Amino acid sequence: MSIQNTQTGTEETTTIQQKVLENKRPAAIWAVGMLVLVGLEFGRITGWVVTAGGVAALIFDLFVSLPAIIGSNVGGVFGFAGDFVATGVRLVTTVAVALLLLAIPAGTVRRLLPVSPAKELRPEMPVNIRLLVDRAIVTLGLFVAALLIVLTPVGGAVDSIIAAIQSLFDSAASVQTLTSRETIPNQGYESPSGSGWEGTFMGLSPALAWALRVTVIYLYATLLVFWIWKGYTTYRQHYREADWTPLDDSIDRFRGHKWGLFGLAVVFAFLVLAIWAPVMGPTTIEANHYEPYSNEFQYLGDSGDVQSTFHGTANIQSRSNGDSNVGPMSYDDYGRWAPFGTNADGKDLFTFLAFGARTSLVIGLVTIGLSGMFALILALVSSYYKGIIDLVAVMGSDTVQSIPALLLILMLMVTLREFEHPIVGIYDGGILLAFILAFTYWPGLWRSIRGPTLQVSESEWIDAAKSYGQKPSVIMRKHMAPYVLAYMLIYASLILGTIIITTAALSFLGIGIGAPTPEWGRMIESGRGYISTQSWHISTIPGIMIVFVVIGFNALGDAIRDAIDIEADISGESATGGAA
Amino acid sequence: MSQEIAHSERQRDEDVLIQVRDLKTYYGSEQLIGGRPVKAVDGVNFEISRGETLGLVGESGCGKTTLGRTLLQLETPTAGEIRFDGTDITTLRGYELKEWRRNAQMVFQDPDSSLNQRMTVGEIVREPLDVYEWKTPQQRRQRVRELLDTVGLKREHYYRYPHQFSGGQRQRVGIARTLTLEPEFIVLDEPVSALDVSVQAEVINLLERLQDEFGLTYLFIAHDLSVVRHISDRVAVMYLGNIMEIGPTEELFTDPANPYTRSLLSAIPAPDPTSQKERVHLRGTPPNPRYPPSGCPFRTRCPVRIRPEEYEQLDEEIWDSLNRLEEILEERRRSRGAVDRFREKVGLDTRYATAAEIREELFEPLAVPDQVESVLDDVSAEIEAGDEMAAIEVLQAEFRTVCGSEKPSHHTVSDSGRTSYCHRHRDEHRDPKTAFEERT
Ligand code: SF4
Repeated sequence: MSIQNTQTGTEETTTIQQKVLENKRPAAIWAVGMLVLVGLEFGRITGWVVTAGGVAALIFDLFVSLPAIIGSNVGGVFGFAGDFVATGVRLVTTVAVALLLLAIPAGTVRRLLPVSPAKELRPEMPVNIRLLVDRAIVTLGLFVAALLIVLTPVGGAVDSIIAAIQSLFDSAASVQTLTSRETIPNQGYESPSGSGWEGTFMGLSPALAWALRVTVIYLYATLLVFWIWKGYTTYRQHYREADWTPLDDSIDRFRGHKWGLFGLAVVFAFLVLAIWAPVMGPTTIEANHYEPYSNEFQYLGDSGDVQSTFHGTANIQSRSNGDSNVGPMSYDDYGRWAPFGTNADGKDLFTFLAFGARTSLVIGLVTIGLSGMFALILALVSSYYKGIIDLVAVMGSDTVQSIPALLLILMLMVTLREFEHPIVGIYDGGILLAFILAFTYWPGLWRSIRGPTLQVSESEWIDAAKSYGQKPSVIMRKHMAPYVLAYMLIYASLILGTIIITTAALSFLGIGIGAPTPEWGRMIESGRGYISTQSWHISTIPGIMIVFVVIGFNALGDAIRDAIDIEADISGESATGGAA
Repeated sequence: MSQEIAHSERQRDEDVLIQVRDLKTYYGSEQLIGGRPVKAVDGVNFEISRGETLGLVGESGCGKTTLGRTLLQLETPTAGEIRFDGTDITTLRGYELKEWRRNAQMVFQDPDSSLNQRMTVGEIVREPLDVYEWKTPQQRRQRVRELLDTVGLKREHYYRYPHQFSGGQRQRVGIARTLTLEPEFIVLDEPVSALDVSVQAEVINLLERLQDEFGLTYLFIAHDLSVVRHISDRVAVMYLGNIMEIGPTEELFTDPANPYTRSLLSAIPAPDPTSQKERVHLRGTPPNPRYPPSGCPFRTRCPVRIRPEEYEQLDEEIWDSLNRLEEILEERRRSRGAVDRFREKVGLDTRYATAAEIREELFEPLAVPDQVESVLDDVSAEIEAGDEMAAIEVLQAEFRTVCGSEKPSHHTVSDSGRTSYCHRHRDEHRDPKTAFEERT
């Protein structure tokens, strides 16, 4: 059955590019707006890219260092011949890791090739074997290319190009932006002549200058989010082929969800606080918190002249410990503005809390990311194959759940800290805590999404996909994951709140994140003795913030649940009534 | 008889597309803790010629869907072979299986569940082409639009989602998807039973048109007999995993040979209300396929079951009650656990009715002949003793015939090669038709 239809040709398959070319205006307006927005914060955004690149490089390094670790371990076993064996093993594993890493992009490269190398060699080769052979050939090709680069002078050239790009990025990242501290400085001293302030933005008082900067940051972030949303609506209105998608309904429902919008607002405020933490505080975290005795500032002395002193010295005079106090919305004796007051060490509380938000966010995201990813993959695999795999998953999760989480955290935190394991160094145990939490959270997550995943796996569209030979991995990704992802989103936002509380609680107990990394729970703990004094703010403010953030995430989760209407989604509520 | 089968086989041999031999699909036998498997398909034989439509009917749970899914290798058969164009597809693995899958596709009952609602219609229909990396993406999109056209949808429906369509249109999408790979064979699993009556005819007409246009071979699974009669060339009637009767449609509908077919057909109202055809009621529900009856699978419900000589004239209702009694005893024997046995031993009440209660319920208003009465007394004694097995044996010793002790064979009952699975086609018994006339 071949259907010839040449007269219609290909004109009905318009691509998105064609659509944009036909109707340029909305896209152009949006693009210009986006360019301006990105341009305003170019330095900061480049900074994020550099950080992301750094993290990726770290993970890559971990893989690349595997052969060396394996090599030396194996070598150690073989005694005197160890060195020789180690070199051999290292070589073999290096090649293996390199091939594995190169096989990942090979799939994409293969698709881009105009010809199939295997088909050129043996035209009669069956399709799936051909694809495999193609990929192997491409991988080998990439490997040879990589070898040539590394072993010839080209390698040096490539290295210096990469280094040049890197330094370009680094200098771009240091460009002043709209929200930079330098753009709207808030630190200064009262001019001896009494005519206002020196060093602050347009001579405003530090309080006003700081408030202005924070307002600008939030305005900018709101505008950015709005513009991204605007981009989506522009696409939806002018360029999308489908005039309706299931997602549209969910978005409309979410927009009408007041409680959810409140949650979104709180979460947004928290995210902006965490992301822009370095410019949020009235002072920098380095000067005020990490290295108070290496950073000087100027102030108007009692004798009427401008003096300079270390932050550390000034902090001692600005303590809030019940006896002396620098409360919220006040200046200390050195003319330093403290929006949330100072803590018992005389350090600025707001600066600390802004970075604390960052810590919570990183730990929350790492935990959710790791445990969610694992739970999702496990749920997909176990409900697709069922039987013995499902059983093993059930037993595995039961085993993990039977371990008392608190005990596990205590044990690992204490022992690894004792041995000064390098992982404890990151965020003063924060990343380690995130890993442990991820390990203890995945069974719960997996159990929550197991039911829905099993339900989706019974859908007939999966049988249909099997009947035309779709690969299991694609079936899981395309026909199951989208439905489970909705549940993941809900549980992720609920659990994110829990993780923030847990982290704070553990730090409060002294087994979570250690000093000096800013963390809300530790601040609550340190101010706990002053609750009944005039320095009540040290514990109270971070406490209220935690409550708000957790409520916000919960409200967001609720709203997503209502918006997605998942039950209807899987069972297909609009069934035309069917006989079994 | 065997000659006839050989003859009809030779006739069709050259254009047979699918040949099924002793196919069995059991469920649950792979359980970790040993258990009796559900015999969803229990040894079926048939063939389908190229371009033919074979209707497959039966009550729900009779294994017809499992049979269809096994033919497509969506279930792994326990035993037997399926020859497709001469190749035994049950032995295919990996790449060979994937390549074969292009030849056979399935239309599912419920378009709501068989179409992924997160994908556009275009993506859904296109997916099989993507799987086989057919030509270029551009050509794939083109082909999908043509297919939408072919099944009576609009080309611009490519970017719509299933939710935006009516049930009938959604089923058309499902049909378009099965056509993408140009298969030879399509299993239609109750393709219209989830649709409004008004659109059923349209979809049936579409299926017939496509069959003519592309020379498709259909296995049409349904429980709506009138639809099957309309579309099928031949019909197979299935009961508890067995094919009871198989043969050309009109012949089978106008003159059913097998008692089950006869009961099934008379269970639907005749299209002609003036017809004087007798109505036979299909009593009760099919037995649990995990514990199929011994001998003929239909014997627990068969209105014309062969009876022992001396009970030939026994009242119909008493027979029903005797059948029920055996079923109850069987159930009790299976469900009786260690706890019950212990409770009995120590003289505690069990959750079971006493023999007297059972007899009262089953036989109370009936005039039971003495001969039967005395057998029932023996049965009661065994029940009181707590030995259901012995009670069943007593019952069977008295009332069991070939229907309960032996599996029937497939008797050829007409020149067209129609076969029926029933002892009554043996010379020593009256044939089902005569028996029906006598008993009703
Ligand atoms: S074999 Fe006996 S029980 Fe089975 S259909 Fe024939 S007459 Fe009825």
